[in-house]
Amino acid sequence: MAALTPVFSACSGVQSALDPAGEESGQVARLFWLMIAGGLPIWAFVVALSLYASRWKLEPLREDTAARVIFWGGVVLPVTVLAALLAYALWLMPSLRPFAGSDDATLRIEITGRQFWWHVVYKRPNGVRVVSANEIRLPVGERVEFALTSDDMIHSFWIPALGGKMDLIPGRQNRLSLRATKVGTYRGQCAEFCGTSHALMAFPAIVMEGAAFETWLNARSRPSSGVHAPGTGRALFERNRCGSCHRIAGTQWQSTAGPDLSHVGSRLTIGAGQLASGSEALASFVADAGAVKAGAHMPANSHLSAAELTEIATWLKGLQ
Amino acid sequence: MRHPLPPEIESLWTLFTAPVVWALHFLACYVTAAIFCAKPGLLGNDFFALRTLIAGITLLSLAMIVVAALLAWRQWGFGTGDPPHDDPTRRDRLLFQGYATLLLSGLSFVAVIFTALPAVFLTECLR
Amino acid sequence: MSAQPEPTRDKATEEAQLRAVWAKPTGWRYWTSVNNAQVGLWYGATAFAFMLFAGLLGLLIRAQLAVPQNDLLSAETYNQVYTLHGTVMMFLFAVPIFEAVAIFLLPPMLGARELPFPRLGAFGFWSFLIGGIFVCGSIFFGVAPNSGWFMYPPLATSEQAGIGADIWLLGLSFIEVASLAAAVELIVGIMKCRAPGMRVNLMPLFAWYLLIVAGMILFAFPPLIAGDLLFELQRMFDWPFFDPARGGDPLLWQHLFWIFGHPEVYIIFLPAIALLAMIVPTFARRPIVGYSWIVLAAVGTGFLSFGLWVHHMFATGLPQISLAFFSAASEAVAIPTAVQIFVFIATMLAGRVIFSTPMLFAMGGIAIFVMGGLTGVMVALVPFDWQAHDTYFVVAHLHYVLIGGMLFPVFAGLYYYYPLIGGKHMSDRVGRFAFWLMFAGFNITFFPMHLTGLRGMPRRVYTYPADIGWDWLNLISTMGAVVLGIGMFAVVMDVTLHRRGKPRGEVNPWNAGTLEWISEPEENWGVRSIPRIESRYPLWDQEALARQVNAGDWYLPDAKEGRRETLVTSVLDAEPEQVLRVGGTSYVTIISALTLGTVFVALTFKWWIVSLISGLAFMAAVLWWLWNGTGDIPEKDGKDIGHGISLPLYASGVKSVGWWAMFITMTGDGTAFASLVFGYFFFWTVHADFTGGIAGPGMFWPMMALALFALSWAATLAAREANRRGKLAVAWILLGSGALTSIAGCAAALAGPLTTGMDPTAHVYAAIVWTLVIWAALHGAMGGIMQLYCLARSLAGRLTARHDMELHNVALYWHFMLVTALVTFAVVGLFPEAL
Repeated sequence: MAALTPVFSACSGVQSALDPAGEESGQVARLFWLMIAGGLPIWAFVVALSLYASRWKLEPLREDTAARVIFWGGVVLPVTVLAALLAYALWLMPSLRPFAGSDDATLRIEITGRQFWWHVVYKRPNGVRVVSANEIRLPVGERVEFALTSDDMIHSFWIPALGGKMDLIPGRQNRLSLRATKVGTYRGQCAEFCGTSHALMAFPAIVMEGAAFETWLNARSRPSSGVHAPGTGRALFERNRCGSCHRIAGTQWQSTAGPDLSHVGSRLTIGAGQLASGSEALASFVADAGAVKAGAHMPANSHLSAAELTEIATWLKGLQ
Repeated sequence: MRHPLPPEIESLWTLFTAPVVWALHFLACYVTAAIFCAKPGLLGNDFFALRTLIAGITLLSLAMIVVAALLAWRQWGFGTGDPPHDDPTRRDRLLFQGYATLLLSGLSFVAVIFTALPAVFLTECLR
Repeated sequence: MSAQPEPTRDKATEEAQLRAVWAKPTGWRYWTSVNNAQVGLWYGATAFAFMLFAGLLGLLIRAQLAVPQNDLLSAETYNQVYTLHGTVMMFLFAVPIFEAVAIFLLPPMLGARELPFPRLGAFGFWSFLIGGIFVCGSIFFGVAPNSGWFMYPPLATSEQAGIGADIWLLGLSFIEVASLAAAVELIVGIMKCRAPGMRVNLMPLFAWYLLIVAGMILFAFPPLIAGDLLFELQRMFDWPFFDPARGGDPLLWQHLFWIFGHPEVYIIFLPAIALLAMIVPTFARRPIVGYSWIVLAAVGTGFLSFGLWVHHMFATGLPQISLAFFSAASEAVAIPTAVQIFVFIATMLAGRVIFSTPMLFAMGGIAIFVMGGLTGVMVALVPFDWQAHDTYFVVAHLHYVLIGGMLFPVFAGLYYYYPLIGGKHMSDRVGRFAFWLMFAGFNITFFPMHLTGLRGMPRRVYTYPADIGWDWLNLISTMGAVVLGIGMFAVVMDVTLHRRGKPRGEVNPWNAGTLEWISEPEENWGVRSIPRIESRYPLWDQEALARQVNAGDWYLPDAKEGRRETLVTSVLDAEPEQVLRVGGTSYVTIISALTLGTVFVALTFKWWIVSLISGLAFMAAVLWWLWNGTGDIPEKDGKDIGHGISLPLYASGVKSVGWWAMFITMTGDGTAFASLVFGYFFFWTVHADFTGGIAGPGMFWPMMALALFALSWAATLAAREANRRGKLAVAWILLGSGALTSIAGCAAALAGPLTTGMDPTAHVYAAIVWTLVIWAALHGAMGGIMQLYCLARSLAGRLTARHDMELHNVALYWHFMLVTALVTFAVVGLFPEAL
């Protein structure tokens, strides 16, 4: 087992499908290793047989014997192996994404893809509704249903550690259901090319204990106390009309054209998984989003002084 | 004696009979299921009925492929001659056509069964 | 039958005549040649050059990704580079290289002087060259397509895609037309132009594969052309096919693209495997084991490959039951592929293998391809694909399949067939050196990508963060790419520099058994005389055949009448049927390609006037070409081809190659039409009310149009009968009134949506109805032009009661037109009423 350690460490990572922390990703990783165990010997067999036939054998086989090789190797072998594999995968499908049965999911997360960020809404049947962006939090062990769509291009929602991907398509409403099995912080990323900065459209995915998640969600369903923090940050935010695109709960700003900032200070990253959160990162993003992310729709604020940027960033960071 | 099989057709196109049956079967399965799932109610709401329909189409297709295979087997002289059928004669050309058609019938038979497998394992549209 | 030299013949004069008739033009006129040997070579060299260009783009990609957070290329440049890399490799190398090889090799392999439509082949080449330069050149102006080689809307229909999207759509549509031209040429060539006696059970396997592949092109490319049409209508005129706000749906493009895209993979793969099917028996020193199995594999793959397209769409949210059907077919297609591989293994098992450089490339290719096939089996499983889709795992998979299944076999073919070009040989030493560099470089580049992908790296990202485990994998890939590049460079050097000053070697150095090895590279006539074939490997089994053929002892050894001629034979048994006169050297092919190319380029820049003028010029060029170059009435009825066989010089109807070409073209055309109809019903399934509350075209005008087109169809058939009976005046009246009826039909067709005020920019229902109706009207107008063409031919005495091939072909066109009209008007006129 010890000899295999490097193999497994080569498969690990916050965005690795081979380091599963979810039900679907676990099943698929197992399917993968099963196929490797079957596929590598088949490859070795075919290559060895070709080498034997072309280099090592001494006497030619009779034609009818050789023809039998075609039948056994080209027909019987693939038909049996493929039939078994197909049956296994088909049997797996309904249990991985049991859409019809997931209507009773107690947490529904609606995600809308935008160039190049994620609009996120959490919904509980009891009426709790939390708007957020660019970060996903899930309770461990609970089946969560995702409702996925897009306002501009086709994007694809993918957290490899938890499960496979599903596209966000304008005009269509797609569903995905995931059950996380391991607490931790993972990384998700857009998997369908969506424009200039497609590469920079990521997000952290945080799997929490059920109780911790409940506390977190309830806190997020109320405005942050940071909106009333002292300082000129809020005034600058208003004067520069940031609120015409960004929503902040508990204020007059309710537009969702840009990412929701209600609790932006408590998010792990800025710019959809690009910069580690902090006042400096916020300041640099506010100054020129396009420098961080080419093609971003947020205008640059080059007229703001460093001090003004710091004020805004500090205020935003306070929105915990 | 009257032969139960129809007379032989001399054409290149007979080669494609079985794959064409596969293609029609595939199309029938896909289109029926797609309409069933996209237009609820138009073809009924009972997924079991859809599966039964697919089973019916499948059996029909397999039967057609078996008939194609029988005709091919006859053209191949009921397997009396072995390949490679490479003599420059009309007879060997016919035997080759029969043999190749028979092989294609076999592949199509398997492919039709593969195509029908989803209806065995999936019990709803799952969308 | 044996070859008896006939004493009365003056062979030296014959040979001089033949050489003069088939001579390639000299000086700059060289480029007006239409002969398959020249066109095939140009085609191949051009495709190869595009491959090198795209390879350099690939190296740029690897350079950018060598380290995380690299800023060698900007995001925008990277997106253009990777899009162009994929586009050029697929459309300007992988498909055209097979057309090149086929055009170059098929005539000598089948024992034909030439393919049946040499000018069409040359036209295809010039179209390809112009379109290719247009598409590739865009990157030097920073306006290359930037949305990925499959151009998904809404990104590719948006402002952000810029003019690059138009360049992609129009440039490639133009090249797709060239591919369809090649398909027509190859199907007719393989079915009708084989040497006498080459029955279907004796056909070289290469020809079997190519026949299937050409057939696949007919059904695979038209859906893309239809998709391009819808796409461009949206980009130019804002018809909302892919805009959900107005009833459209971006997924329609994905369906149409992949109905083309997946068969295309096999369109690329099968011809390359066909080269291996020629190479392996030669070096195993025996006939192939399992000839029928290869036919099974080729035909089976050809069919199954059309049931795979949705496996590129497993993550689009289609019902899982739909995904499952495509998953099943994707698994099934592995069976014929396995058969192919095992046929080669069995042939080697039953032979004594000489391990030459071509064999090295062949075996290396198989080792790589089998790996790609196995990962293909994996990604065809829906649950696994949900993870692997759009990641570097898929990048690895597709390169294993395409490089192992196509590039290595093509290189094997290059080393194998090189002696046929000018009789010189490639260097064995350089070949082995290059092989090992390429093989190692390839695996170092692409093997780690499997892991990179499963560790979460999506494809099409211009950069990636440093700390999530992708950095060293990417660095290894980049180093491998350099090695692969050096290997390719070695081959390029071998082809371009090394051969200069080399002596002419043997033409058949491998002692191969198939007919193409008879040909004399210095001569332009294909074969000196056309032999009767009695074996799959005539050079092994028919003693002295090469000597007899080159001595002019066989059929059609002369060109007394000063015309380029080849034999037409029957489909199954290849019995001689006709002496076919084929087109010779001409400017008209270049002019047609240039004018058509100008149409497409002008459309890109929305220069409407220029495109209209060049469109008319193109039509004029084509009419001149048809009028002067086709359907000639020969000066005598028949010709003696030697050995007591006399054959007609003219055929019409089913017996003529023109009829077959029309049939095949219209099959492709019908497929494009079917794709549009699919679009109509696709929109119906997507929406509860797909009309969006808009009034349809009503029933009256569609039914009126249908009736008029049916009348015109009947007039065409009646004209054919009247002409056959010598009642020319009746035929003229019928043709003239038929043309008038067609024009009335076009007007009636357009009147439907016009009178009910359907606005194509308002809703997709109106847009798709307009598209179908315009399609039918344009085809009706074309039918009218054809009727007038026949009328003019008849008036000019170029179409007579006995020489009536144009009328047969036009009648065939009208059969297809009738079906088009029937479907169009039933769909737009009756279907909404039935709801």
